Amino acid sequence: MKAKAMRFLKLLGNRLLGILRAIAGFIMKLWRHPKGRVGLIVVTLLVVCAIFAPLIAPYDPYDVTQRAAKGLSPSWSHLLGTTITTGQDIFSMLIYGTRVSLIVGLVTGISIAFLGAIMGVIAGYVGGAADTAIMRTVDVMLVIPTLPLTIVLTNLFGKSYLMIIFIFVLFGWTGLARVIRSLVLVLKNANYVRAAELAGASRGHIMFRHILPGVSHLLIMNTALTCAGVMIAEAGLSFLGLGDPTAISWGKMLAEAQGGGALLFGHWWWIIAPGIGIFLAVFSFMRIGLVMEEILNPRMKQSSSIYKIFKNLNNTYMEEVFASMDENAKLGLTLKAGEES
Amino acid sequence: MSDLMLKLRNLKVVFPAGEGVIRAVEGIDLDIAKGECVALVGESGCGKSVTSLAIMKLLNSPPALVRVDELKLDDEELKDYSDGKMQELRGQQLSMIFQDAMTALNPVMTIGRQIDEIYIRHNNLSRKEARKLTVKALDLVGVPEAKSRANSFPHQLSGGMRQRVLIAMAFACMPKLIIADEPTTALDVTIQAQVLNVLSDMQKKHNVSLLLITHDLSVVANMADTIYVMYAGKIVEKAIKRDLFLKPRHPYTEGLLGSVPRLSDEHHHFIQIPDAVPHPMFKPTGCYFHPRCSYCTDKCKESMPPLAKDVGGREYRCWHPLNLGGGAKDGK
Amino acid sequence: MKKSYLIKRIIYAFFIFLIVMTLNFFIPRIGVVDPAERYYPPQGNMTEIEYEIIKQFTREQYGFDVSNFQQYLNYVSGLFQGDLGTSFRSGNPKVSQLIGERLPWTLVLSVTNLLISLFIGLIIGTIAAWKRGRWQDTTLLNLSTISMALPAFFIALILSFYFGFELEWFPAYTNPNMVAQFDWSWEAIRVVMYNAALPIVSMSIGGIIGYGQGTRNAVIAVTNEDFILTARAKGLSRNQVIFKHTLRNAMLPIVTSLGMSISGLIGGAVIIEQIFNWNGMGTLFLEANNTNDYPLMMGIMLFMSAFAIVANLVTELFYSLLDPRVTVGERR
Repeated sequence: MKAKAMRFLKLLGNRLLGILRAIAGFIMKLWRHPKGRVGLIVVTLLVVCAIFAPLIAPYDPYDVTQRAAKGLSPSWSHLLGTTITTGQDIFSMLIYGTRVSLIVGLVTGISIAFLGAIMGVIAGYVGGAADTAIMRTVDVMLVIPTLPLTIVLTNLFGKSYLMIIFIFVLFGWTGLARVIRSLVLVLKNANYVRAAELAGASRGHIMFRHILPGVSHLLIMNTALTCAGVMIAEAGLSFLGLGDPTAISWGKMLAEAQGGGALLFGHWWWIIAPGIGIFLAVFSFMRIGLVMEEILNPRMKQSSSIYKIFKNLNNTYMEEVFASMDENAKLGLTLKAGEES
Repeated sequence: MSDLMLKLRNLKVVFPAGEGVIRAVEGIDLDIAKGECVALVGESGCGKSVTSLAIMKLLNSPPALVRVDELKLDDEELKDYSDGKMQELRGQQLSMIFQDAMTALNPVMTIGRQIDEIYIRHNNLSRKEARKLTVKALDLVGVPEAKSRANSFPHQLSGGMRQRVLIAMAFACMPKLIIADEPTTALDVTIQAQVLNVLSDMQKKHNVSLLLITHDLSVVANMADTIYVMYAGKIVEKAIKRDLFLKPRHPYTEGLLGSVPRLSDEHHHFIQIPDAVPHPMFKPTGCYFHPRCSYCTDKCKESMPPLAKDVGGREYRCWHPLNLGGGAKDGK
Repeated sequence: MKKSYLIKRIIYAFFIFLIVMTLNFFIPRIGVVDPAERYYPPQGNMTEIEYEIIKQFTREQYGFDVSNFQQYLNYVSGLFQGDLGTSFRSGNPKVSQLIGERLPWTLVLSVTNLLISLFIGLIIGTIAAWKRGRWQDTTLLNLSTISMALPAFFIALILSFYFGFELEWFPAYTNPNMVAQFDWSWEAIRVVMYNAALPIVSMSIGGIIGYGQGTRNAVIAVTNEDFILTARAKGLSRNQVIFKHTLRNAMLPIVTSLGMSISGLIGGAVIIEQIFNWNGMGTLFLEANNTNDYPLMMGIMLFMSAFAIVANLVTELFYSLLDPRVTVGERR
């Protein structure tokens, strides 16, 4: 019994180590890509802001008692000024707003990846009734308007970010499941899967050891893009006041700015600041997703970079290459020219 | 006025890539006489398809860089022709049959309309007149009930029928030269034979020059007059069919022949060529074939052998040619 | 298109509608025994007896005084007679009547937006694909990564700030008399266009770039297909290749995303309508939410779902007309 437990722990440890190693590998690949590096740096910055918000923010963003400091313009003491209605420090609010955006984005993105992968693999690999059931559900989900349903459900169960995450996951997995399913349908007929089936491997084993790794690249890419999409949607819901009424979020800041007369009094920084927050967060996650796509799908990269290569073509070198192919060219040159590149 | 339909001299094609240069074709010469069927043989990745596209001047630049000393179709120099001028020649004097008819036909257009287009473009016909010719052309390649079939979409036809449609397209204007790039690779063996027969009949009946590109020597055995063997972007051997099959000079040709099953020989052993064609960006030193060659010596590793000329227009590129006995003169 | 295919799709769409309809019935009843409580939540200044009376009244008025199953049957039979329910508003207007009043105003915004996005997007997408790798293409790519990261409502706020408050070119809030005074005169139409300018522009910036990038990718994907090479080998001119072969095939993925846009036409402008105080379906829904007007909310939702179902069905049938490969239940 004990030996079994030890073996299980060891297996679990190995698996976890493998996952960590894979993630580290991905981060290294991203880092080597110039566009990926930008995304990575911004995401790291946002994560730091979210974790250390109380240390970075110069004021308490929840402090609504500063009557004397209402509607200040940006200055050294208030980097982005204060709100017109309550005198809260906008820069501090901006820093704290990172938390909601990142948490909602990441939790939803990862949950969708899990749910979508499981549903997609089951629909594609098991097929039959399971496939029918899942695909019918997807079809139903697709026609229900998400935003109105979110409004109804928050009305029913109260406003909270948990609710928002729940609804995002409930509706978000459908698209991913469709994509994964069609990929699994292809993988299902791959020879290595057939071989595993003939060797008597169980369905679960095949699904998780042979098929899931085949779709993992798609999952990782999709998670980054989903996070980006979710952060935009979250901002929209918060703007409509459907988020947790006590939390500070960028979407809610925009709503307060609009309601609090930022437009009327020309306090443009009150609008721009949360907008830039949303933009940076979404943009960096999207960049990471797109760069992953490029890394994982090198054919796309080739077709776009080929024009750059042509622009910077070294003509004398190309002449050398052509000359080296001539029948009476010095026979050694073929080798040299090839190596130089 | 020579009797050459196609005269190709020193064709070179390279693809600049991020990390180096892909040398797809490294200076090849090709002659096709009028009414002749020439085969260009080699494994995939040898640069055969690039050669065919280069002759059609269909390679896009970027990504390809093409150099050629002479590209003459029936004594007409095409080397410097603009794309507009080439458009008039393509389909009319020079046409092509592609490998996979499923992807080579537009999926959302009926096959009839796809053939009509050629007549409308080159013969200035109305749609109705073009359709008459289309039906005739389909009839010629053995498509049954051509009139109604012309209205079907590519996916509604069988693989063999689709390939016949491509052949009908290529022969539509009875061009001077047709290039067939692996015309039967995507088909079942039985269908292959039918399609090849159609192609061969059409070629002989209309006395069209044909450049047949394939990796399959059994296809060549039935149709070709002269055979070029290509390896890693270079021609390694050229001979008339009989010579090549009986006395291959290059070890690569010998290997290719060894891979063909023969019914006549009960004790025939397949000779396989180890490994694969080198990546066109990282070709070996010396003779490109040496890492896979069983006759390899130090000399082969150091330098590329020149193209040696032999009797009867034979050419080969090897330091240690095979089957030189029996009256053949050493080319060097 | 086969008739059986058509019928099958219609039956399936109806099946989806039945499920959505049933969900719609049950969602407001989640977690409560007496729907009257949900439809009329207790208010602070009410005594127990007063509330009981109100609940009783609500039950009778909205038909909650029968069994759940009977309620469902009544709901379904009402629906099929075109009755989406009755609102709580004073005067108890029918939900369908409220929708009828607001729907045209939402469509003014969303249909105009879709037409603008599609038209301009198709043009710039085709240009970008044509000038692939040149500055037109890279500009579009960079713009699309930027615009995807900017929520439309943020763009709306900026536009409303700059053009509404600072420059005062366009109204930042919709003229409340616009709807009441609308009489199809040119002046009234001009007023609508003047008021709709900012909402439409803020919605269509992302739409134009999205459709542009989508078109560009679709066109380039088709350009790499084999049949484009065939078309060029036939000698077709550049324009013929683009208009007859490329664009027709590139339309397929665009039709799919167009279908998605159409199914979101009604519910896609909620936040924009809220920002500009536009009297459409979105603001109607938010008003219903603020007054806990469940019959109205659920009625609007069902209407939106039904619209989406019909839109999907039409898209699918249209797609099958464009792509002859689509057979029953299979969609690329």
